[in-house]
Amino acid sequence: MAKRKLNPKFRRKLQRGFAIVALLGLLALIMLVAVLDRRVTQQFEGRRWTLPARVYAQPLELYVGQDLSSTRFAAALTRLGYISRSPVDRPGTFRRKGDTVDVYVREFRFSDEKQAAQKLRLSFDGDVVTALANASGTDVPVYRLDPLLIGSIFPIHGEDRIIVSPAEVPALLPEALKAVEDRKFDTHHGVNPLAILRALFVNVRAGQVEQGGSTLTQQLVKSYFLDSRRTLRRKAEEAVMAFILESRFEKADIMNAYINEIYLGQDGRRAVHGFGLASQFYFGKPLSELNLPEIALMVAIVRGPSYYDPRRQPERALERRNLVLKVLAEQGVVKPEEAQRAAKAPLGITNTASRSANYFPAFLDLVRRQLREDYQEQALTETGLTVFSTLDPLLQEKAEAALSDELERQDKGGRKAAHGLEGAMVVTTPQTGEVVAIVGGRRASFDGFNRALDMKRPIGSLAKPMVYLAALQSGGYTPASVVMDSPVELKLESGDLWKPNNYDRKIHGQVTLLRALTQSYNLATVNLGMEVGLGPIAKTYVQLGLDEAPPKYPSIMLGTAQLNPVEVAQMYNTLANGGFRSPLRAVRAVIDEQGKQLKAPELEVSEAAPAEAFYTLNRMLIEVFNRGTARIAQRSLPPSLVVAGKTGTSNDYRDSWFAGFSGGHVIVVWMGHDDNAPTGLTGTTGALQAWTRLMASITTTSFEPLMPEEVEDRWIEYYSGLETSPYCSGSAVSMPFEVGTVLNPSPACPPGITPEEGALMQPLPFAVPTEGEAAIPPGTP
Amino acid sequence: MPPFLRSLAAFALLASAGCSLAPFQAEPPPPAPRTSPAGRGPVISEPPPVTSTMPTEPDVQAPPPSVPVPRERPKVAPATLSPASSALVNLSQTQRKKGDLPGAATSLDRALRIEPSNPLLWIEMGRLRMDQRNYAQAEAMGRKALSMAVGDSHTQASAWQLIADSLRARGKNPQAQEALDKARELGGK
Repeated sequence: MAKRKLNPKFRRKLQRGFAIVALLGLLALIMLVAVLDRRVTQQFEGRRWTLPARVYAQPLELYVGQDLSSTRFAAALTRLGYISRSPVDRPGTFRRKGDTVDVYVREFRFSDEKQAAQKLRLSFDGDVVTALANASGTDVPVYRLDPLLIGSIFPIHGEDRIIVSPAEVPALLPEALKAVEDRKFDTHHGVNPLAILRALFVNVRAGQVEQGGSTLTQQLVKSYFLDSRRTLRRKAEEAVMAFILESRFEKADIMNAYINEIYLGQDGRRAVHGFGLASQFYFGKPLSELNLPEIALMVAIVRGPSYYDPRRQPERALERRNLVLKVLAEQGVVKPEEAQRAAKAPLGITNTASRSANYFPAFLDLVRRQLREDYQEQALTETGLTVFSTLDPLLQEKAEAALSDELERQDKGGRKAAHGLEGAMVVTTPQTGEVVAIVGGRRASFDGFNRALDMKRPIGSLAKPMVYLAALQSGGYTPASVVMDSPVELKLESGDLWKPNNYDRKIHGQVTLLRALTQSYNLATVNLGMEVGLGPIAKTYVQLGLDEAPPKYPSIMLGTAQLNPVEVAQMYNTLANGGFRSPLRAVRAVIDEQGKQLKAPELEVSEAAPAEAFYTLNRMLIEVFNRGTARIAQRSLPPSLVVAGKTGTSNDYRDSWFAGFSGGHVIVVWMGHDDNAPTGLTGTTGALQAWTRLMASITTTSFEPLMPEEVEDRWIEYYSGLETSPYCSGSAVSMPFEVGTVLNPSPACPPGITPEEGALMQPLPFAVPTEGEAAIPPGTP
Repeated sequence: MPPFLRSLAAFALLASAGCSLAPFQAEPPPPAPRTSPAGRGPVISEPPPVTSTMPTEPDVQAPPPSVPVPRERPKVAPATLSPASSALVNLSQTQRKKGDLPGAATSLDRALRIEPSNPLLWIEMGRLRMDQRNYAQAEAMGRKALSMAVGDSHTQASAWQLIADSLRARGKNPQAQEALDKARELGGK
């Protein structure tokens, strides 16, 4: 057989050509591998150190004498993911037996010290903690529960995670992941050719890509580069990168990276990554405390977080969880009877359908803004800071409920304009200026437009106390001073004439400052304000804690200054704090990964102005509840609770406000439409209702400021301001006056009348109503 | 006048008032009577009769008015710390001695959350601000404490002492001396 021989010359050329091509190919391959190596290694090593700051709520302090019942305590523990069980033998468990609660408190690193896990016994008597002792029976004076994790400051692209160390991972989790996702994990080199072949076979038969033969390592690589295109080229690249990872890192590191990296659910804008956060997201407790059915559910979710979403697809999720349990038993990871028992357990997912437990985006928003004053964005999203915030989770939940209940009530009410309202709420503690709750809208868990911070609206009559504060500070006025509630015309800068009206469109004539404020009379306030001057009025805004004074237009007296609810809370917080200004803070402390304390806003106070004017103004604001525009709230508030506050309504009923305080809490409520349409509501019929709901539902104290030394109480007639005696006047009201203030006595019922004398006197008609209101019963809102 | 006599007198007043005076329950529903924050008698919360002369029931629910305000402010017993605050103040002082000023602040923050109106805690916070060389805030804490210590000369003296120290630290010696005099006058150490 004749062989066809190639020309040797040609053959050499061909060989050289092949060699060059092969060499180039090899070079290209080496370069490709080098590029991929760089990418995947950087990602792997970089990721291990990219930790969003974790934000915690304020811890529940336990101490003897505390206002706390065993029921409320058990609820607080449940919220923290503590399990009620007997015996109480490991951290995260408790048992309530009548008025005694045993609890095994988890270890926690606070900003000042690491608190070891400890078993405590608390005794209660109704609403009071009567004893607090440790396991050896020694009394403990005060103890912090581990605080609630309320979120983290994750980067813009929305990945959030809680990093867990291998020690925090239950041993069962990696075993279960291997059994279900990648049985050859311990031995393969990043890819499992057999699995790929099997997948290929299935895919070819199905005519499309259906089954992945991905190892855990490949899944990790895929997650790093956020590309789910299942092209062959991607598959090849993934395989190479998986191979590279395996050759460079230990199996244990890869497993740990997987546990912290993998995508496990979606919460609005926030992508839930890693089992640490997923455990909080689905079960409201740390990963280390998950049991067999819970771990099985997490492993089930890995395959398709939205397809097997246990909140939206509970049946599908349950079916797959039980399949996982079956596989675990088959693979010998757990005993068959354990798996069978676990298969009977419910899913155990925390509360409502669409939201994760314990996620408060509006509050986190404020935390982030305050931290940005001291920290770079990167430090917050990458360096693993721990942030201790001022949020009170219970109060936050009550605030959300109070607002949404009231908005729903309005939805069902007869006022068409008040249907579909939005709202916002801010709660602070007056003495320390801490923000304890923020609601940014009707859907509180929705991370969207934050009305508490980003919405500025005219504050309406919330501005009136500033006019009266300026008047009282000027030294020329007392609550008994009289001012005319009569028509007023002012020429504005624009040249237009401004003719304000009273809310009731009536004219009340000569009125006391006390009455003008409590009844929120516009004309009297403008007349008073023009006497006092716009300069001093504008200045009070700064005294009360705003960065800058509003422009000195006459209309600021009736609240055309536009503020957001947090700014209003700042101002009213200064009122509630008796004139001491404390910049509102949402953060108490920040520590780094090593536990070192970093910069955080400190508690600050400064005296805005002498206390007397503030004390007097606050006493007038209490009367708003006794006889003014907030009188209706008395029906719902505990009778012994003393509160103070002010309604606000902007032009055409576009904004309904209420700002007020007890001794322990300042609450600011806004209600209105996002498009600024009229609501048909006043401050009284709208915001006050939500305010009252919240104030009536929380544990708080009466507003009882100490009377400054230079001041004394005297009785005056509400309508005339004449000094009187409570024993013969039905409109007598006790108001503070500087010692030595001269007051005109009421001729018919002068001061000094004793009860005995009063009993003998003829009843009196009240201060003669002035023209224009003869037929109007005073005090009508 | 003994309380029972006072109640009796008030009842007499109300009973006689009921015949012709109609201020107290002019319109339903009657809001619950509220006590003024100073605790010095009722603040009557109904509008007066303008048109009505109809007799109504006497308002037996209204607490009897108390005697008019005495001019002399009563002395108040010196403020004390609750056991929980006391433990936290001790912890804070230990932390301060160790130079852990942020830790000391955390402990006082905790105590203030438990007893925000206790002037002793504000004085303690002021002492910490002195250690932190934040003298202006130390003074402000002292003034805040004063506002909560009306009638409590013992605590006032401690607050003035703190204010004096904070003024001296800033070289404001005449004012510091004034504050110190106040502290001494009130019986401080």
